[in-house]
Amino acid sequence: MSENPSIVTLSGINKTFYRGKEPIPVLENLDLDVPSGSFEALMGPSGSGKSTLLNIIAGLDRPTSGTVKVAGDDLTAMSDGQLAKWRSQTIGFVFQSFNLIPVLTAAQNVELPLLLTQLSGPERKKHVETALRIVGLEDRMHHYPRQLSGGQEQRVAIARAIVNDPKIIVADEPTGDLDRKSADDVLILMDRLNKELHKTIFMVTHDPAAAERATVRRKLDKGALQ
Amino acid sequence: MNLATYARRNLFRRRGRTILTLIAVALAVLIFCFIRTAIVAWNAGVDEAATDRLATRHKVSITMQLPKHYIDDIRQVPDVKASTWANWFGAKDPKKRLPFFAGFAVDQDTWFDVLDEMQVTPDVLATWKQTPNGAILGDKLAHALEVSVGDKLVINSDIYPGDWEFKVVGIYKAMRKTADRNTLLFRWDFLNNDPRAAFSKEKIGWMVSRITDSVHSADISRRIDAKFDTQDDQTQTMSERAFQLSFLGGVSAILSVFAIGSLVILLIMTLILGNTLAMNVRERTHEYGVLRAIGFPPGHILGFILGESVLVALVGGLIGIGVAFLVINLGVSPALEEAGGPFQYFRTPGYLFGVALAAAVGLGVVAGAIPAFLGARLKVTDALRRLD
Repeated sequence: MSENPSIVTLSGINKTFYRGKEPIPVLENLDLDVPSGSFEALMGPSGSGKSTLLNIIAGLDRPTSGTVKVAGDDLTAMSDGQLAKWRSQTIGFVFQSFNLIPVLTAAQNVELPLLLTQLSGPERKKHVETALRIVGLEDRMHHYPRQLSGGQEQRVAIARAIVNDPKIIVADEPTGDLDRKSADDVLILMDRLNKELHKTIFMVTHDPAAAERATVRRKLDKGALQ
Repeated sequence: MNLATYARRNLFRRRGRTILTLIAVALAVLIFCFIRTAIVAWNAGVDEAATDRLATRHKVSITMQLPKHYIDDIRQVPDVKASTWANWFGAKDPKKRLPFFAGFAVDQDTWFDVLDEMQVTPDVLATWKQTPNGAILGDKLAHALEVSVGDKLVINSDIYPGDWEFKVVGIYKAMRKTADRNTLLFRWDFLNNDPRAAFSKEKIGWMVSRITDSVHSADISRRIDAKFDTQDDQTQTMSERAFQLSFLGGVSAILSVFAIGSLVILLIMTLILGNTLAMNVRERTHEYGVLRAIGFPPGHILGFILGESVLVALVGGLIGIGVAFLVINLGVSPALEEAGGPFQYFRTPGYLFGVALAAAVGLGVVAGAIPAFLGARLKVTDALRRLD
């Protein structure tokens, strides 16, 4: 694993939130290297800074200090607009509560990130069909989220995360809202994405079974990696 | 699918809320059209007033009469081409088929030369001149009173006692859309020679003059009034437009209130629309966070919210205009025009529909601006944390 170049490099990351004027340090002098093609699980107690770290890696949040390099780009030097474009091209998101748009079908949800590209309608459709085939839901493409089970919704969300062929997939508690069987299906799928499509996966989880699937397991406590 | 698909689907996400908002917008546009149409209709006579005509009345009040010989003096004023006069008769239908109509005693020799928005054939005019109790009516009035040429017509008056019997000699043709088609004209000499009108013997109500050059109407007006400055009964001469406005004087304040009211209605519509948008944005904050996370820039979120606001305003506006056309132009208008009274032409003009729609869409942008701005400025991580 360590032979692969780093796709994520964090150096001296500090992140402090403020409650009024009172500073609350969340991440302190944190360094992290994530090799390309790895499947990493980040665990830790609530409030340990897991989601904050994930947000910084995904370009959703900025550190108070330190440098963030992801997929060769220095995120700390980017404007908000540049970060949005970068996310659309580099990052695939999988959320705990799926976060599908209820008024759009499965196919339309998967197509959403492609609306930001120059692809034509037929090209987008082809990409959507491929992504839904990978997650095993090509027969549900015209179903609305309310017509799908939780596990199916999360698989649609994974299809949305991979449809634009991102370098990294970040997953925040992807099995948190699922029963064991559905959670296992999702984890198997993520494992396949890592092994067969060589996607780097960085996953925050409380679930030990989910963490077991990862090739690297890290623990964050009180803002520091252990 | 395209970006508009998402905005369009959002429109009926809360079906009940959207329908109520559409009804509010449509109702606001309908009321706006109605009020503005009433204002346009009130002012129509003024707007279409002839620019080359002057009206002369008693300086104190229109209700006070002038000596009849004043008409001869006015005709001597340079640049006055022709003059005529009229007396208000206060006509009433004894059978009460009409609540109100105008009745004037006029000079049969000059009336139609000066008031050319009313037209009769030479044959009718000749017959009228030979028939002392001859009356000429507007077509709607004749229809309402169920009389035609040759019939006897009995009318009462608020001013002159008893039954007044006329013979219908003709129907005048209205040459302007705002010309009153509910007017009764009869000969002034018939009134003047009747003992029941002895108190106004050789008196006239007001005079109307056609002038050679409307540019100098103010000068001509001054010259006319100067002629009577030393008389017991002084005059006030004004443009026909000003004369019409003097009748509307008391109403103009009400019209101003109506005009303000129509704007308040639009303001209320904006607030309702803005409130709906604010609720929608609040409910979808988390969703906008997801869209921002997967790469949608703030401008897209702004566009989604503004697009939704404009779409509601546009659809509501179109419904409002459609209903206004049906209710005003096809429903209320024929009834009001048939009834006579102040609204001779009560139709919402095409440009007013355009103004109403543009106002609705423009206010849709205004209503959506703040929610859209706030939605676009949401911090992604904060929006993702928001679950309600």
